[in-house]
Amino acid sequence: MRLSHGFVRGESLNCIYHGWVYGANGGCSRIPAHPELVPPASIKAEVFSCAQANGVMFAGPAGATMDLPDLVGWRALRSMPFECSQQDLEQGLPGFAAVAPGRFEGKVTLGGTKAQLCLLVQELALGKRMVHALCGPQHDAVALSRWLEALRLRVEEEKAA
Amino acid sequence: MIPKAVMDEWYPVAMASLIGAQGRQTQILGLPIRVFRQADGAIAVHGADGKALPVILRFGHVWVCPGTPAHDLFTVPEADQPGRRLVDCGVVRVKCSPLRAVENFLDIAHFPFVHTDILGAEPHTEVNRYEVQIREDSDEVWATKVHFYQPQAAKSAAGGIVTEYMYRVAAPTAAVLYKTCPARPGEWDVIGIFVQPLSEELCDVWPWMALYDDTTPMASLIQFQQMIFLQDRSILENQIPRLLPLDPGMEIPTQADLTSIAYRRWLKRKGLTYGAQMVAA
Amino acid sequence: MILYDYVLSASCYKIRLMAALLAVKLDLVAVDFHAGREHKTPAFRAMNPAGTLPVLVDGDLVMTESTAMLVYLARLHAPAWLGSDTPASAARIQHWLAFSGRLGASLGMARLHDMLQFDADIDAVRKAGLQCLRELEAHLFEARQGGRIWLEGDAPSIADIACFPNVALAPDGGVVLDDFPSVRLWSRAIRSLDRFVEMPGIHRLHELKPAPEGVA
Repeated sequence: MRLSHGFVRGESLNCIYHGWVYGANGGCSRIPAHPELVPPASIKAEVFSCAQANGVMFAGPAGATMDLPDLVGWRALRSMPFECSQQDLEQGLPGFAAVAPGRFEGKVTLGGTKAQLCLLVQELALGKRMVHALCGPQHDAVALSRWLEALRLRVEEEKAA
Repeated sequence: MIPKAVMDEWYPVAMASLIGAQGRQTQILGLPIRVFRQADGAIAVHGADGKALPVILRFGHVWVCPGTPAHDLFTVPEADQPGRRLVDCGVVRVKCSPLRAVENFLDIAHFPFVHTDILGAEPHTEVNRYEVQIREDSDEVWATKVHFYQPQAAKSAAGGIVTEYMYRVAAPTAAVLYKTCPARPGEWDVIGIFVQPLSEELCDVWPWMALYDDTTPMASLIQFQQMIFLQDRSILENQIPRLLPLDPGMEIPTQADLTSIAYRRWLKRKGLTYGAQMVAA
Repeated sequence: MILYDYVLSASCYKIRLMAALLAVKLDLVAVDFHAGREHKTPAFRAMNPAGTLPVLVDGDLVMTESTAMLVYLARLHAPAWLGSDTPASAARIQHWLAFSGRLGASLGMARLHDMLQFDADIDAVRKAGLQCLRELEAHLFEARQGGRIWLEGDAPSIADIACFPNVALAPDGGVVLDDFPSVRLWSRAIRSLDRFVEMPGIHRLHELKPAPEGVA
């Protein structure tokens, strides 16, 4: 049963099916059907390294040292799914620079002002990616979100064409 | 290639009362079939080639054998007791292995978390020791002396009680449970799960009941059982791996899992591997 | 007040949920929707010619549209659930009540197809459902920028109750909510309300209760 369907109590993630309790190290600390039992160490969920920067969550293989991208000056705005290929997305980004693999930055004109966007692109499948958008601290979140919606509409419709 | 042992078993494919001349197009083990009522009133099932398949009407449902029946369909004598309400609960489709649907039916440790405040509740989560055996004479898996505290054991229950259960796997994709009957102490309420394997990862589930309950309207009895089963559906559709592992591997069973351990061993021994995987999970 | 009810119906659940949140007692009459098709019988159609559930009866008043029932319950017992008393707020509430119809026709229909084998163009209804979820996500994202979690205003309203069931049950129809974080936060807010009741397919939030005594 997928642990993502589970529930968090304190520092433990509990499975929704039988309520098995898993600690942050992935080990099972309690089996509600057998409250007196010390669960064997072999009952263990897979763990990943994770870290946060500027409101963005990063995950990697367990034990890996995380080489986090420098996100100084950016704040997390919104995560949005795009049903398109990487090529469709890049072709749809006007004047954005590929700063690093999966990272695009550019200026956006909103009304009379300019705003900056940083897009971190996570590939979910060949035809689907999750775009994690960051913006500057003073920027108009709603206006930028609407700009992203318009971008997505354009990219997905141009792809279909 | 579907194993002969799988082909030679009985599977539910329709509710008898709902079959008319037009009938129902469905499938069994990935093979298309048509279930319909003939001019003489009898229900027949034909394969894609028009060949008539062996049919049994029992427990209000139509059962078919896609191969050559290895034995008769199981019986539930309680169904013939006078005063019993026989309830056909209605089919629900689930994107899971038919074997997973049966195994979930045999499990009680999930009651407090999935059927919260009905069949179980925290902190009453402990599953006490019970007995399991594979009965050689009938070739069925039985679990007995199962006890569990339930806030609302049945539609007829007035409050929380410790329910006693027996579980019986009577066919590869059909199980029956016997539980304390609140309306008639000393008798069992009987609830069956009859699973139609459409494919290895898709099934139609036909719940059925034989109860003592003189007061609850039929629609309420049906809906109580549908409510319970539908609470399991999202669990069933998210179990991984999709096919039921019959070899020990990453899944680590506990004492509470004795019935499902016996069920998996029984399936493996009999070569009933449709909906199962032999590679360790 | 009598609710003709089917335990697995998303629309019936809107009324059961609203009544529970308002601590209003309803007399439930179970109608054998599946597989009995009791809602299509002449006896039932004498009460509701449309042959649909739910039906809410209060004396001489027979309501057959779930949005009408929500308005009625709120007007009677808790008018704050109708939004604030301005033309704009009323218009926005109506928007979401109408939107809830689109959710039923898309996500709701996908669920009925996948679970109970109702006839539907499954790809089309799932696609329409995803479109609805995107619109909902955009709106809820913007609401959260203003510190708001509900569909309209600063408090839960009948708009939330009308839209919640089909969204929360979307996975039953093969549409997962993983891509819609604002929708999931909104769903959790509703499921965390006092007197919230579940229905099959919508699990209890066990995290709202601490672990049992003596447990880590």
